[in-house]
Amino acid sequence: MKIVLDHIMPVPLASIQHSAESIWGNFVELNDREKILLNASSGKGKSTFTLTTIGLRNDYEGKITYNSEDIRTFSPDDWAKIRQEKIAVVFQDLQLFPNLTVAENLLLKNSLNHVYSEKELLHLLERLEIDNKWSQSCGLLSMGQQQRVAIIRALCQPFELILLDEPFSHLDEENTQRCITMINERCDELNAGFVLTSLGDTHQFNYDKELKL
Amino acid sequence: MLNKLLFKNQDLKQLVIAVIGAFLGITFLITSIHYLIKVNEFGKGSEILGPNTVIVQKKVSNSTSLNMTKTDFSENEIKKYKEMPFILDVKPVTSNNFDVSFETADPMVPRFRTDVFIQTVDPKFLDVKSKKWHWKEGDKFVPIIMPREFLVMLNTFMSAQDIPQISDELAKDINFKFTLKNDTGKEWVDARIIGFTNEVSSILVPESFMEYGNLKYTTGKEKKITQIMIEGKESEFGLVEEMLNEYGLETKASQMIVGRLKSVVGTLFLVVLGISIIAVFVSGLVLIQYMQLLMSRNAYEVRTLLRIGFPPKDIIKSFFTYFVKIFGIVAALGLGTFFIFKFFLDAMFESGGLYIDTQISLTAIITLILSYVLFGFASYRTARKGIFRQY
Repeated sequence: MKIVLDHIMPVPLASIQHSAESIWGNFVELNDREKILLNASSGKGKSTFTLTTIGLRNDYEGKITYNSEDIRTFSPDDWAKIRQEKIAVVFQDLQLFPNLTVAENLLLKNSLNHVYSEKELLHLLERLEIDNKWSQSCGLLSMGQQQRVAIIRALCQPFELILLDEPFSHLDEENTQRCITMINERCDELNAGFVLTSLGDTHQFNYDKELKL
Repeated sequence: MLNKLLFKNQDLKQLVIAVIGAFLGITFLITSIHYLIKVNEFGKGSEILGPNTVIVQKKVSNSTSLNMTKTDFSENEIKKYKEMPFILDVKPVTSNNFDVSFETADPMVPRFRTDVFIQTVDPKFLDVKSKKWHWKEGDKFVPIIMPREFLVMLNTFMSAQDIPQISDELAKDINFKFTLKNDTGKEWVDARIIGFTNEVSSILVPESFMEYGNLKYTTGKEKKITQIMIEGKESEFGLVEEMLNEYGLETKASQMIVGRLKSVVGTLFLVVLGISIIAVFVSGLVLIQYMQLLMSRNAYEVRTLLRIGFPPKDIIKSFFTYFVKIFGIVAALGLGTFFIFKFFLDAMFESGGLYIDTQISLTAIITLILSYVLFGFASYRTARKGIFRQY
């Protein structure tokens, strides 16, 4: 899927001076299978980029298109289909269900596309060393553990692009590497790309492109 | 899983209150509609006059006997009664203005002859379904409806003659004849009983026969209206009774008792029906409000489900199905309780001498289905509005 940000300027960021390299106010293309790092300091709009691109915020000027189609024309059902099959997201605030267990959080999302079996989900948790949390409520997990659950949940669907909004902010280096390896493998498996927002850390990954805000 | 997420943490107090309210409302709604219809249907078919209809005449007093006051109705009086808000229609009862006698004309029964008084009423007031209720000149016989007292009298006569008494059905097979006459002519017309009545004290004949007799054998005297038929509105029979007393009119006591009874029971069930409609409406509103509260409590869950790709229609369906199931259980419980009530109420009515039809009223069931459909529609609209608010 080709995503174009055609001179996008979020209304809350319009009063801030942006650099010439910033994606805000410029023409930017996110091409198929590209693995992109979006690097910026705090308050420059990393989460705004994620939420605007996935259609959760409409307070911007300019135009965003998916394969040349203006996303403002999409219906709620169109968005449901896109979020189920085209674009996966790891939100900065994770958006897990704290009253459900880890298993329930994953199985609920997995019920939309039936991508993984329970055994496979457990294996993914095992790779990130939280398989022992399977039956535990998400609300009782540490932020780092919750981040890992949110990453696995985002992988429980087919996608062409995955948006990762500071997904490793609470993880140590070892776990970060495990996560980025898992995401990269899944992207390769699906011929998909990703956009990873970061506060400056590259996480020792070789990106196709680096964008700035 | 979706249901666990959306409906696990609830404050069930409000839900229980709404469910109890809806249950009581539904139970009394079906019960009151059922009995309102059955009580109004009471007596239909067994009598020849339509529902809430009475034949009235002026009370005969000493002054009327001395010709000081009239016992006939003027056109103005009829018009005045007709204009009363609780009266649907008033029509004069037409009597014979010619000499007529009635006799048996069958070898099976001994000869019995008497001068009679015949009447006819507007067919609109009659509840006679028989196709035989018409007459034209040249017809083989004229159909008649007999006062039941006549059969009692005939049987008394038969008994005195040592002849076996006759039943209603057998009486309908006996040949009778009318003798119509005036100073210049005489004619015999065969007659057959097609029904009996407790409500009218004279022999009823079709309008066409009365017109024929009154035209051909008229006595030439002024034709007076001494009886009128009044059709009152349902459940307002008490007002008709008041009016009769006020204007010095009277009717057969049995007619008034049934009318009064139907009016009282009907009003009672009408009140219950009103309260039930309010109860169903209010409890329905409380259930809908509870759904809104539940959606508002689960705003984060709903928003997140939409963000991770759940279609809005799936979430709407979850809320809609949950509440429609609750109302379905309430409706089923209400219907079950109605059957229990019905069992006892029917027995009570029967022991009180009110033999009402015990078949389930279709209108009551349709009302229940309609309430269910309306609640389903309101639930769907509320769920849809609530989910799209989170979009």
